Amino acid sequence: MPKQKYLCMQRSQPGGKGEKPSPAQMQEMYAKFNAWKEKFQENIVDMGGQLKGGKLVTSEGVTDGPFVESKEVIGGYMIVSAESLEEAIEVARGCPGLVSPGSGVEVREINTP
Amino acid sequence: MTTPKLVEHFFRHEYGRLVAMLSCRVGVQNIEAVEDAVQSALMTALRAWTHAGLPDNPSAWLFRVAHNELMGELRQQTGRRRILEQNAKEDRGAPENGPEIFLAGEVRDDLLRTLFVCCDEAIPVESQLVLALKTLCGFGVREIALRLFTSEANVYKRLARARSRLRKVPPRSGELTGEQYSSRLPAVNKILYLLFTEGYLSSHTEMAIRRELCDEAIRLAAILAEHPTGQAPETFALLALMHLHAARMTARQDGSGGLLLLEEQDRELWDRQGIQVGLSWLARSARGDHFSRYHAEAGIAAEHCLAPSFQETRWDKVVECYSLLERIAPSPIHKLNRAVAVAEWQGPAAGLAVLWGFEPPTWLAGSYLWAAVLADLHRRCGNAQTAIRYRDVAFKTAPTPAVKALLQRRLRTGSPVPM
Repeated sequence: MPKQKYLCMQRSQPGGKGEKPSPAQMQEMYAKFNAWKEKFQENIVDMGGQLKGGKLVTSEGVTDGPFVESKEVIGGYMIVSAESLEEAIEVARGCPGLVSPGSGVEVREINTP
Repeated sequence: MTTPKLVEHFFRHEYGRLVAMLSCRVGVQNIEAVEDAVQSALMTALRAWTHAGLPDNPSAWLFRVAHNELMGELRQQTGRRRILEQNAKEDRGAPENGPEIFLAGEVRDDLLRTLFVCCDEAIPVESQLVLALKTLCGFGVREIALRLFTSEANVYKRLARARSRLRKVPPRSGELTGEQYSSRLPAVNKILYLLFTEGYLSSHTEMAIRRELCDEAIRLAAILAEHPTGQAPETFALLALMHLHAARMTARQDGSGGLLLLEEQDRELWDRQGIQVGLSWLARSARGDHFSRYHAEAGIAAEHCLAPSFQETRWDKVVECYSLLERIAPSPIHKLNRAVAVAEWQGPAAGLAVLWGFEPPTWLAGSYLWAAVLADLHRRCGNAQTAIRYRDVAFKTAPTPAVKALLQRRLRTGSPVPM
């Protein structure tokens, strides 16, 4: 397994939810996702998951989100390992449903000493 | 790390199964809440299963999640609280943890009950069809529109009509009476027949898509025929006709998706086992005193399946079945088909004689079917001028390139073909 780890954050436009997928489409997504998982099993460190609601904790106290004035919402995350940023991008880009109209993924190198 | 594959159509069939089971528990008036809960459970499953792998019993897992989701939603709808209490006594188990095992028979009963509920005479038949495709077969709106050659807006409209009727079904009457079951059986058979013909007769170029509708119709009809409610000769004849048609389906196209005439088809490609199944249903259907249109149509299909070649077809028997069909279910299409069979049996002039003096309704007169049959019969009678006139109409009205190619092959008369 490559050493360098990358944090992938799914960003999407709020409210930009498309039509609900039909059961047949869901089955297709299931198959594609598993194919992706298998292809990049060496790279996937932590499948992560969806990020739900939470709170912002600061020196002034605890407040509700949204946490920053952002046009986009971080909907989920995962951690992959790769030899380079390019390779990490390739893994993230291949993940079904992650990159689509109205949503994208931010890939950041995790600098561990 | 390999993830187990799910059986084909797992999500779609689970959708139908869950909608049926849950709407039988909370009442069909809540069908929209049920469908939302099922949709949401499937989405949850998609996320959970791709992350953590499949649970031991995916169907039970789904039922539990959908059931909890639905109960939460119905509890929130304060006005519905009373309904919940009313139905609580009838709720056949499955609180928070849900039953781990479902008796196959119970699921089939729920599917059937929902099918009968869909076939409410107060719902227009085209809405019944869309409702069954959506709730029992688990097709999405876009998929239904694609299969029925209509717009998504139209599918939504038909669904809305059906649902608004279901909302008015008084609570607790989700249980149909025995009388309602038998009085709705013809409507249920009709819906299954429509579902099948939508696939079988469709001019859709993709065989897989058409085949899917036929398979769904056979699946539901088989459940119906196994149940005391549906054990009627008419249902058996319907199943016979479905199997006998489906067995020949793949042979109707050549390798590149072009359509083949019956006489051009490679009979080796016919599914012998499917034909046997069809014939055994046909044998079971031969009792009672009611000869239905399904009996007549299955009879015609059986004659074609049993004929060793096009030339050796027992055309007299085919003609007999078409005559019966015309009497039971009068339609100019049946007359036209009889004319074709008579032409094979007694020659083209006799075929033309069947149509002599017959004024086709405008929808038929303007269709390629009418023009193509007349062009063919006149050509074989040697009436070249009339044949060419009809042939040109047939070419002009051919609905798809595949049909047009077939007509061009069949209706060659030696004169140049207008494109």
